[in-house]
Amino acid sequence: MNVRFWGVRGSLPVPGQKTERYGGNTSCVEVRSASGTRIIIDAGTGIRHLGKSLMKEEFERGIGAAHLLISHTHWDHIQGLPFFEPLSRKGNQLNVYARRRDDGHLRAVFASQTGDPYFPVSMEEAKATISFRELADSAQFEIADVEVSCARLNHPYVATAYRLSVDGARVVYVSDTAPFSDILFESQYVAQPPLPSAALSQRDRKKLQSMRDGIVRLCEGADLVIYDTMFTAEDYRRLPHYGHSRPSDALEICRAAGVKSLALFHHAPERTDAEIDLIARETVAAARGSGQTIEVVAAFEGLQIPLGRGHR
Amino acid sequence: MNVTFWGVRGSTPAPGPAMVRYGGNTSCVSVRTKAGALLLLDCGTGARNLGHVLLAEPEPAPFRGRGQAAVLLSHTHWDHIQGFPFFGPLYVPGNAFRIFGPAQSSELLEGILEGQMAPQYFPVQTLKNMGARIDISAVVVGTPFEVMGCRVTATWNPHGRSRALAFRIEDGDTTLVYASDAGYSTDGPAPEALSLYAGADLLIHDSTYTAEDRARPGNQGLASVDDAVAVAVAAGVRRLALFHYAEDYTDTDVDRLIASAHDQIRRRGVALELIGASEGLTLTI
Repeated sequence: MNVRFWGVRGSLPVPGQKTERYGGNTSCVEVRSASGTRIIIDAGTGIRHLGKSLMKEEFERGIGAAHLLISHTHWDHIQGLPFFEPLSRKGNQLNVYARRRDDGHLRAVFASQTGDPYFPVSMEEAKATISFRELADSAQFEIADVEVSCARLNHPYVATAYRLSVDGARVVYVSDTAPFSDILFESQYVAQPPLPSAALSQRDRKKLQSMRDGIVRLCEGADLVIYDTMFTAEDYRRLPHYGHSRPSDALEICRAAGVKSLALFHHAPERTDAEIDLIARETVAAARGSGQTIEVVAAFEGLQIPLGRGHR
Repeated sequence: MNVTFWGVRGSTPAPGPAMVRYGGNTSCVSVRTKAGALLLLDCGTGARNLGHVLLAEPEPAPFRGRGQAAVLLSHTHWDHIQGFPFFGPLYVPGNAFRIFGPAQSSELLEGILEGQMAPQYFPVQTLKNMGARIDISAVVVGTPFEVMGCRVTATWNPHGRSRALAFRIEDGDTTLVYASDAGYSTDGPAPEALSLYAGADLLIHDSTYTAEDRARPGNQGLASVDDAVAVAVAAGVRRLALFHYAEDYTDTDVDRLIASAHDQIRRRGVALELIGASEGLTLTI
């Protein structure tokens, strides 16, 4: 399989000179199996450029099919979809997957993004066929030759991690998530960091432990894990209630799961290219310092990682 | 009056090395009135950088707790509101913002802005969690209203199947007009729009496309650079700032767009000063 990054940024797109090398587009990763199964994870603004690239292939002729796995529906993970050109061609097929919620249908969440008065062209006008499939927290299913497994993440309003297995390789997408230690995120709004004195309830601690176990299982033996490492240690001290992790959290999960390589992902909007360079170097050094054998790369727009058999 | 551009892009933010000179952030312009009051024109992603600058102002640093500003929204398509959740001063208790925009009622406009903050889309979940005081008013077209010491008048421009407000902002004897997302019919702007623009010291006008690109199917909801020059000349404005460039236009494309506007002005033999807006540019009028 081939993994390609089209958007690596969190929160919002950040154009400008200081984000030129890693890129300013929000989250979008493409995974393509050797047989040509096309899976896209998240639809941040990076998907606009993926769409242009797909329109140079079978999607231009209206015979393309792609599967879009959505980690959660915060803007930076869906805002590129209205600009995904393959949807303007009749015959193309897009299957969208995301976690089921009991407070609304997935289709409605996407339809209102392109509804009046927010966007000029409604989803119903898309010429391609769009289908929606709602997933349980630990769903397992197949997309052609690709096995997909899900696990729940610790993020405000809940997000989903995905593992894709095909061509004898495994890639896991873990974004967005807070560490599984200080705050349990569900649907409630967490206005401020917990008081230092406030201990987690027994219930919350158990839930977090089981969530962490689920993620470690999902990452077990993975060739590549793509992890939300938006925060520095200092950011996390100030903003533990925002729902994001540090590189050290990613390393810790990868160590427990015996992961071969880690892509730092979902970079903070304010992070400059030079700062991301530094974070990558520090993370490599931290892994080495603790004797962890893992390859670490900071994801950038255009990065391609071939894994397993018959990649292209 | 000082006018600063924070985002000059249309449709969707366009990061990338080919867009760094003009900038890839979506529409946001700030106005400092002669008395020092602050107005924002639209709230695309450019607003985030403006917010950083306001919060980093030296003492007395008004936006760290007693700042006031108004926001005029031309319409509520994403590229004109998507910077709102990332505008830092909105999160500081004590600051107060008045938002004016198009909707049939103020409650509806509030509902539209709440829609962007809803929990399935954004972790803050509601405007009420932002901290600053936010008062939202629907604009009544044609009736001048007072905003931060300025006299503001609004009129509609067609914008595809929808429409957008153009604003005339009069600060004493200085007049700024903001007309983004103006998709005129083949007859050109309505008489109300032309009279709104008339004699402005600066007209900031939608110039999304070259004439050739605007002619392509689906692109008639926005203006071409030719439209911008034509209305500026017809309305007798002093300066024209081109703005709201297409998301795919590189710096070289925008250079060409601006050069073609210069050519048209030269051919017409009129005295019209032309500016191609870019992120960070400040104009004094």
